[in-house]
Amino acid sequence: MEPSQTIIAHSLEETHLLGKKIGEAIPPGTVIALTGDLGSGKTAFVQGLARGLDVPAGYYITSPTYTLINEYPGRCPLFHIDLYRLEEDDFEEIGLFELLHGEGVTAIEWADRLHKDILAEHIAMDFEILDDESRKICISEHGKARFLSGRIAILK
Amino acid sequence: MILLGIETSCDETAAAVVVDGRKILSSVVSSQIEVHHRYGGVVPELASRKHLEAIVPVVDEAIRKAGVGLKQLDAVAVTRGPGLVGALLIGFSFAKAYAFTLDIPWVGVNHLEGHINSVFLEPDPPRFPFVALLASGGHTSVYHVTSHTKMEVMGQTRDDAAGEAFDKVAKMLGLGYPGGGIIGRLAEKGNPGNVLFPRIYLDKSEFDFSFSGLKTAVNRYIQTHQESCQEQIADIAAGFQEAVVDVLSYKIIRAAMEKNCRDIAIVGGVAANKRLREKVRQDAKDKGIAVHIPSFDLCGDNAAMIAAVGYHSLKEGSVSDMDADVYSRAL
Repeated sequence: MEPSQTIIAHSLEETHLLGKKIGEAIPPGTVIALTGDLGSGKTAFVQGLARGLDVPAGYYITSPTYTLINEYPGRCPLFHIDLYRLEEDDFEEIGLFELLHGEGVTAIEWADRLHKDILAEHIAMDFEILDDESRKICISEHGKARFLSGRIAILK
Repeated sequence: MILLGIETSCDETAAAVVVDGRKILSSVVSSQIEVHHRYGGVVPELASRKHLEAIVPVVDEAIRKAGVGLKQLDAVAVTRGPGLVGALLIGFSFAKAYAFTLDIPWVGVNHLEGHINSVFLEPDPPRFPFVALLASGGHTSVYHVTSHTKMEVMGQTRDDAAGEAFDKVAKMLGLGYPGGGIIGRLAEKGNPGNVLFPRIYLDKSEFDFSFSGLKTAVNRYIQTHQESCQEQIADIAAGFQEAVVDVLSYKIIRAAMEKNCRDIAIVGGVAANKRLREKVRQDAKDKGIAVHIPSFDLCGDNAAMIAAVGYHSLKEGSVSDMDADVYSRAL
């Protein structure tokens, strides 16, 4: 059983804060797989993640649904990817697999579209809408990744 | 001056032949032509492979429809960014090679400046300076435009683009994806006053947008009204559309007033939305502001707008050389 933890974010601000804290804790090369319904907070989480990775505030972290990959300069590059509009054949063509093994932090929305085996070492985060404000966020670390173990408590 | 324009920044492979940045001789967009039926009749996807398959037939079709010989082309204009690097490179490399072979100049241009210039392909273009709202699937921004190639961003979306919100709401309502156009048609049958959604203005004196919260509000409404949702579907579409249109119209008119501009341009895929066209025209009329919106074909991604901005860039002395490269994103 992979270590996992469930956190309740009671507001958009708490989702941001969670992203920021995780951004501060992870090393370059980390892959974060995000899943959850439309409007469940995936992009909001990445907005916080970017601040934790020291992406300058002048950059708006906007949805990559159309643009597919958005890159931001931070402590290390942040690649914000959205697979919503893509088919499996397209993943290689947008350069996804190179990014997964690159020096940047890669946050992938709609990661459930990827075959499970493609992501070896990664942090998985699943977002669930509880009510207008609250989101249930389930975090687990896969492969050798243990950046958050023992720290998830402080994320609460 | 006759320019060949080429556009491959996102989903569409497009080519056009345009005279003096004004007169369109031909404008071909891959999703609109038959050549794609050979690839299964589907709307072309984003992958660079699709651009690679389409670029030669699309350019050939543009040249053929324009009725010009290759020797009559004076220059080539091509989208340099922003967009997906793999997709951009197809058009960019093609344009470089094409111009090199014909021994004519070529110029890489900004896709967003292309959209702004789409209004100059219509009769009665705006007078400089003017303000422009660019609203599409990937962008929602307000610009102060002082020349064909000089513009300043006054505000932009902080999360989702307006077109993306339309498409995602269509998906939530089970209308398929992308379904922005379907929402517009469905909304005509609904009453926007029956289901009210929040208007998210952020700071009313600024020009940034946020559509993520509205998308989530619609999702919540659908989830909490599952039984009545199908009966109310036209009202939900109308209520959502009105919430987007109110904010877009308010901000662009305020921008015009702040910059003392008598002209507004609305460009990008969302400019094809009938209610937006109607609402901005109505609100602007009261203030004595003229509204310029391109015809439907020029709202979405196309290469005529690329040829138009390319013409003005060349006139100002910009020429690209062999070392020029594409870029994915501008701050």
